[in-house]
Amino acid sequence: MNFSWTDEQHAFRREVIKFAQGELNDDLIERDRNEQFFCEGWKKCAKFGIQGLPIPEEYGGGGADILTTVCALEALGYGCRDNGLIFSINAHMWSAEIPLLSFGTEEQKKQYLPRLVSGEWVGIHAMTEPGSGSDAYSLKTRAERKGDRYILNGSKTFITNAQLADMVIVFANLDPAKGPAGISAFIVEKGTPGFSISKKLHKMGLRTSPMAELAFTDCEVPAQNLLGKEGSGTAIFTASMEWERICILASHLGAMQRMLETSTSYATDRKQFGQPIGKFPAVAGKIAEMDIRLEASRLLLYKAAWLKSQGKHPLREAAIAKVFVSEACIKTAQDAIQIHGGYGYMTEFQIERELRDAISGTIYSGTTEVQKMIIAGLHGL
Amino acid sequence: MTEQVENVNVKDQIREFVREAAQRKGVSEVTDDQSLVESGVIDSLGIFRLVAFLEESFRVRIGDEEIVGENFESIAGIERFVLNKLNR
Ligand SMILES: Cc1cc2nc3c(=O)[nH]c(=O)nc-3n(C[C@H](O)[C@H](O)[C@H](O)COP(=O)(O)OP(=O)(O)OC[C@H]3O[C@@H](n4cnc5c(N)ncnc54)[C@H](O)[C@@H]3O)c2cc1C
Repeated sequence: MNFSWTDEQHAFRREVIKFAQGELNDDLIERDRNEQFFCEGWKKCAKFGIQGLPIPEEYGGGGADILTTVCALEALGYGCRDNGLIFSINAHMWSAEIPLLSFGTEEQKKQYLPRLVSGEWVGIHAMTEPGSGSDAYSLKTRAERKGDRYILNGSKTFITNAQLADMVIVFANLDPAKGPAGISAFIVEKGTPGFSISKKLHKMGLRTSPMAELAFTDCEVPAQNLLGKEGSGTAIFTASMEWERICILASHLGAMQRMLETSTSYATDRKQFGQPIGKFPAVAGKIAEMDIRLEASRLLLYKAAWLKSQGKHPLREAAIAKVFVSEACIKTAQDAIQIHGGYGYMTEFQIERELRDAISGTIYSGTTEVQKMIIAGLHGL
Repeated sequence: MTEQVENVNVKDQIREFVREAAQRKGVSEVTDDQSLVESGVIDSLGIFRLVAFLEESFRVRIGDEEIVGENFESIAGIERFVLNKLNR
């Protein structure tokens, strides 16, 4: 058992923090208010190498192992306060790049990965539908094979980065009689006739990360746009969810560290009743709890990532980390607001946004309730 | 001879795992060639439980790209997949 980062990982972490603090936080209050995606920030992150971190060098990526990737994303979450930008980057990495890398043909990988890694293209993943969320495999989108083409029909909702997308990995059922075994994944490029963005969606948090609904109406794609094999949609989805559940909250660790430091410093400076509020046990206790949650979150997330790096499928550990870290981040943001009193509730202090951004962590990539079902299921229930 | 014993053992363990999964889903009988996904014995999570079980029991490594229907289609398919790995 070894709990330390290497010197290289430490150095990389410092580099990411410096980059993020210097380049990614401008005009954030305005951008959040206007639901504006930080295009420049996206490009800067791609140039720095964030989007391509876990992708092999032959496709233009950084070839980093999963732990180094987690280390960098944690640093990004610490340095960059634009949680929406970070969420958009994560969605692109785990739900578009990784399925392509794991299941794409050599041709598909060569065609798409270099453009996704360089940030020139944005990739998205469309599973959720108005009638199927947690019960993802009851989706209604249909695919039909016609000669050397597939025809897609259906609609998708809550799709992150939809308005920015150059390519979509869309899940549809080719053979509903087979149930989930009929679900397959298809690559659809922007501009394909029959594929459109049907409605922009507005959110409580992560407002700098765009989201919309998608419509597929007799949308024809060539047979070579099938990702994996016919019927392997469930495997593709679950494999990408496994990566996502482990890695998507790595930046939450950085955000929790940032909130802990900001709150500690405020509790030291702010005086009431003639002394720093941090001297009151009720406030100091909150700081201690923020630290406890951060430490436990780190251990759970690092362990899941370590297991994955050992070639294992840490279904249980990923689910545990997902539940714990998402809930810890919400509680920490709430404590940070409480410690800052009325100021914490004001937009200008940039803490209320952290809470709005954190809330959805218990919903995306499988809700807390679904993760608990997974964990209980492994106990035979 | 040892290999034969090993093969029997692999199939027995896989059968036992599938039998338990089937029981939980209310499916009473599973033949060696029956489709496990279509008959509802192994659902989306079940596949990953099965993968974890195979990795643990037979000390094999299973890549994401190998978790596809054809390798986990039936008891016989799973057995072929595992034996292929063990004999490699
Ligand atoms: C910020 C954000 C980004 C997203 N990005 C994407 C994306 O890019 N692509 C995509 O395809 N989807 C995306 N989603 C959709 C997301 O995956 C779904 O919202 C999620 O899976 C839940 O589905 P639902 O919203 O339909 O809720 P439901 O499934 O309707 O759930 C409603 C409530 O019931 C509970 N529930 C449901 N079933 C059970 C059960 N069996 N036992 C106990 N409780 C249960 C849930 O936990 C939840 O509390 C995103 C969602 C959010 C919030």
